[in-house]
Amino acid sequence: MRTLRRNWPFHLMVLPALLFLIVFNYVPMAGITMAFMDYKPWLGFSKSPWIGLDHFRALFEREDSIQVIWNTFIIAVLKIIFNLVVPFTFAILLNEVRKRFLNRSIQTLVYLPHFLSWVILGGILVNFLSTDGGFVNRMLGYIGLGPVFFLGDGNWFRFTVVVSEVWKEFGYSTIVFLAALAGINPALYEAAEVDGASRWKQTRYITIPSLMPIAVVVGTLSLGNILNAGFDQIFNLYNSLVMDKGDIIDTFVYRTAIIEGDFGFATAVGLFKSVISMILIVISYRLAYRWANYRVF
Amino acid sequence: MNAITNKGWKASLSIALIASLLAACSGNNNNDASSSSAAPAASTSASPVASDSAEPASAYKDKYDPPVEITTVWGVDPALKFKNGESIENNVQTRWALDTLGIKIKSLWSVTDTNNAFVTKMRLSMSSGQDMPDVVTIGDEQLAQDLIDTGMFADAGELFDQYANDTWKKAMELDPGVWNPYIRDGKRIGIPVLDYAYNHDYLLWVRQDWLDKLQLKAPTTLAELETVMDAFKNNNPDGLSPDKVVPLSIGFKTTMNTWMGDPSWIFGAFGTIPGQWNVGADGNLEWGSINPAIKQGLDTLKQWRDKGYIPAEAALWDENKTAEPAVAGTAGIIPGPYWMSGWPLLDTAKNVPSAVWKPIAIPTGPEGKAGRHGTRFTSGVTLINKKMKNPEAVFTYQNYLFDHLADPAVGSDWDLGVFKGYDYDLDASGNPVYLDKIPGGEVNINRYWLVKDGARIPDAQMKALLNLADGKEPTTRLEKEVKNNYGPETPAAAKVLLAQPNISLTNMFTGPATPTMQSKLDYLKKIELQTFNEIIYGKKGLDEFDKFVADWKSGGGDAMTKEVNEWYASTK
Amino acid sequence: MYHKTTPYRIFSVFNTTFLLILALACIIPLIHVFAVSFSAKSAADANIVGLWPVNFTVEAYKKTINNPIFLGSLWIAAKRTIIGTFVILFVASLAAYALSKEKEQFKGRSVYAWVFVFTMIFNGGLVPFYIVIQKLHLMDSFWVLVLPGAVNVWLTILLMNFFRGIPKELEEAAMIDGASQFGILFRIFLPLSLPALATLGLFAMVWHWNSWFDGLIYISHKEDYPLATYLQTVIITRDFSSLSFSQAEFDLLSQKTLNSAQIFIGALPILIVYPFLQKFFVKGLVIGSVKE
Repeated sequence: MRTLRRNWPFHLMVLPALLFLIVFNYVPMAGITMAFMDYKPWLGFSKSPWIGLDHFRALFEREDSIQVIWNTFIIAVLKIIFNLVVPFTFAILLNEVRKRFLNRSIQTLVYLPHFLSWVILGGILVNFLSTDGGFVNRMLGYIGLGPVFFLGDGNWFRFTVVVSEVWKEFGYSTIVFLAALAGINPALYEAAEVDGASRWKQTRYITIPSLMPIAVVVGTLSLGNILNAGFDQIFNLYNSLVMDKGDIIDTFVYRTAIIEGDFGFATAVGLFKSVISMILIVISYRLAYRWANYRVF
Repeated sequence: MNAITNKGWKASLSIALIASLLAACSGNNNNDASSSSAAPAASTSASPVASDSAEPASAYKDKYDPPVEITTVWGVDPALKFKNGESIENNVQTRWALDTLGIKIKSLWSVTDTNNAFVTKMRLSMSSGQDMPDVVTIGDEQLAQDLIDTGMFADAGELFDQYANDTWKKAMELDPGVWNPYIRDGKRIGIPVLDYAYNHDYLLWVRQDWLDKLQLKAPTTLAELETVMDAFKNNNPDGLSPDKVVPLSIGFKTTMNTWMGDPSWIFGAFGTIPGQWNVGADGNLEWGSINPAIKQGLDTLKQWRDKGYIPAEAALWDENKTAEPAVAGTAGIIPGPYWMSGWPLLDTAKNVPSAVWKPIAIPTGPEGKAGRHGTRFTSGVTLINKKMKNPEAVFTYQNYLFDHLADPAVGSDWDLGVFKGYDYDLDASGNPVYLDKIPGGEVNINRYWLVKDGARIPDAQMKALLNLADGKEPTTRLEKEVKNNYGPETPAAAKVLLAQPNISLTNMFTGPATPTMQSKLDYLKKIELQTFNEIIYGKKGLDEFDKFVADWKSGGGDAMTKEVNEWYASTK
Repeated sequence: MYHKTTPYRIFSVFNTTFLLILALACIIPLIHVFAVSFSAKSAADANIVGLWPVNFTVEAYKKTINNPIFLGSLWIAAKRTIIGTFVILFVASLAAYALSKEKEQFKGRSVYAWVFVFTMIFNGGLVPFYIVIQKLHLMDSFWVLVLPGAVNVWLTILLMNFFRGIPKELEEAAMIDGASQFGILFRIFLPLSLPALATLGLFAMVWHWNSWFDGLIYISHKEDYPLATYLQTVIITRDFSSLSFSQAEFDLLSQKTLNSAQIFIGALPILIVYPFLQKFFVKGLVIGSVKE
């Protein structure tokens, strides 16, 4: 009780967020039970038949489910890695541009692709990457490399998916790192200057370590997306030539469940994804704590 | 250290459990309410009609006084315009229904139907226990089947037999199979919404100006087609270099059988249409994609791709992409429906003024066969709620439309247009004006009707087009509408289509998805398209097709075929 | 000074050039989209537009803006963005501050933290959410656009980490002076966290401005749509199963120019606001506040 008397301001501060979360997140979470029902909208929660793990069985019984899960995993992992490394590096490099106007302009420009929708971007990419006169393949031709079927060859497809997404979003993620950079105490740099450290040394021993905590946070939280390889993008880009390497869980669920209104199955798949994400986040939280004594959240 | 994360876990789970209990309680109440008799929207007078008339005097009237109320829900077309402060709930049509027929149309909810919003909202509305409307027209196949499965909707077939007028009945009989998707236990749940015939049938649109310059005749066989394509590519009349020309613009990103730019007719030339159920040699239904004729079609496509007659990246092209070279003026031929004359082909002239597109018939294959995928005569279904107090009112409404709207005779009420100031107007001298000339802009009032697009007699539009094709001046309203609203080549296209009625193969399976379909169809479609594309792109040999057929059969295809034929037998 | 040394200057030239090329790679597709939005439909459909409009026309913008609903939706979007962003910032600041304290100071913080993160991972889906909204009578209300999104856990955790970076000495000094926790938060931590707050503000604004699904599903009157929802309705989804198109409607079937115009209408406000926010990404706001 004594702690509560001391702590009450903190509990009060958390309260508004907590209330919203309970109402808008926890109460609807009851809907996860749909994953175990053959949910029919007109029967609702109380009358839809309970089918236990049947949805999960159906998910894994499909001949291509392992392939689809694996595709999702690979693409998602690559995206998580590069969506961390690229903005991180970019923020550090951008930090070295001293002319304010240039710095801010570049910042703004790289942010813009975020606003493009994949519907539009899909069309642009088909043209840009076309084996039939598309810009990239023409450039490759000039340096003597054969045309690459970026969107029609399974392995290149994954590459294209990851690169195009990173290109689209790195500007947005960079902002987080820029904010973190702004928080580094300049006195540290001044002291390093005095000691004669080169800029590279300064970067290695001040900048990067200062950014690490945020990078770890962003990285850990992005593990929540470990099985979200990007529905919108894949949906607009994929085709049957790359199905075996490019079909992901979400597109597969879309075809089989969303269109048919099979909420139960869709929820079951969502639950599966969530459980995997949770496990990974817990692991990475513990690792961060054990190794770096850093509490991610 | 661990204690803390453990506590966190426990807390989250407890909150989740408590919350779910709370939710389950309220959820229960919710759904109990919906399953027991919820009071439908209040309606006045007219006694409910039982399926067998308990009362000798029918409640059907041409006009209801006092007015009866019908509830419905709307998926509003995003392009639909409203004038004079109207909305879908309150507009010139609702007023007309009240004044002329004594029917008050009440809207339970409406949503702008973009991104599948109507289907989503309908499912959510059911889930949350909201009342179902008296009457609703559904275009989405799956949603229609789901709603029929709820058991909440009446045997509309019986009501139809009882109340529909002759015009409507005759229109419905043009294709007796039109009820099939909606039959459950012998009862027809829901009335098919009739649509114009041949809306999706293909023909080939070809650049006549190129043919003229090359002094070639329009091809009638696949072999002639190849000659033409070769000339288009390597000897281009507009001087385009070969790598810029797309002689035949087709695409198969997601399927080989779709509404524009597909290669299904190429397979048709060898005797089958992929991606649908056709009547096989033994009279049973078979899935077109496993018919041996497919092999020849695939081989043809592969060769055409190697020679550059079809886009190198056709497997990436969806329907819209196939239109691109057509509009840009670099495509020589594009397959598609008759209405393409207006869109997208009218735009080609803006980029290449000399371009002229003409429709030609689907070419025949080496054995003289030809095939194109057909059109169902329906575009949706109208469901009538079992609890509706005055179902006969729906028929009053529709009968009127069938008599007056579907094909108005010259000089009739709606000859010039339906609502003055909306879809037509009169100028100072009393002459009718349309489209842009209507003060305040034109409104497509056909989207206002209770039943999507009003009333359509399947062959009416084709008849109108044929009349125009022979050069006659438009006299009836339909003919005028078609002349004003569609591209110049549309009547000629209609003529081409109707010259080959026997090659039109419609999907013969129109029932609800069978159990095997629900679990296997997606996978089967996936391996089908994958195999076909691998063959066309030369990644695998033609024999891969045989392997695919074997996989297809054992992977659920045989089971599916059996279920489909059981359904087929039940409809005969 | 490191930046005056020759090696650094060389690096700087390469670096800046490289970053400019990257920026160019980002802007060129947008220039293309911009050009498409000002091109004739026939040119866009033919895919012959490069970086400059072909057959210049403002048709796409006219179609989008000429609707009486447009202005209303603009206003609603502005309302929801301003109010919504403020709500997110307010709620997040409070929670992030409390959560940034160590467990010795705030017993149970970890419990709360996991409770928060749990919601980022587990989700009941659209159906139960819809039922909740209905029960709360939020359907057709402006607040359905603001309240459900009030808590953004990801941003809260981000802010929490920024708060952790603020020297503890500041808090201790303030407490000695008798300040309450609320006071410390509002008078010390927030002013020192401007870069973080700017980041949160930006993300919240972009999210609110571009959010269209909630408006579509929970609001039935077109007049009450926020801009993003209205923009979705400008394009016809190609439903070729019913063919009562009139020629005039065929015009609307070209999605490219409309889509392109929408992207700019959607991005515009953010572009206007961003330069102001960039001022906050300035180093050294913590200087001098703590004597080492």
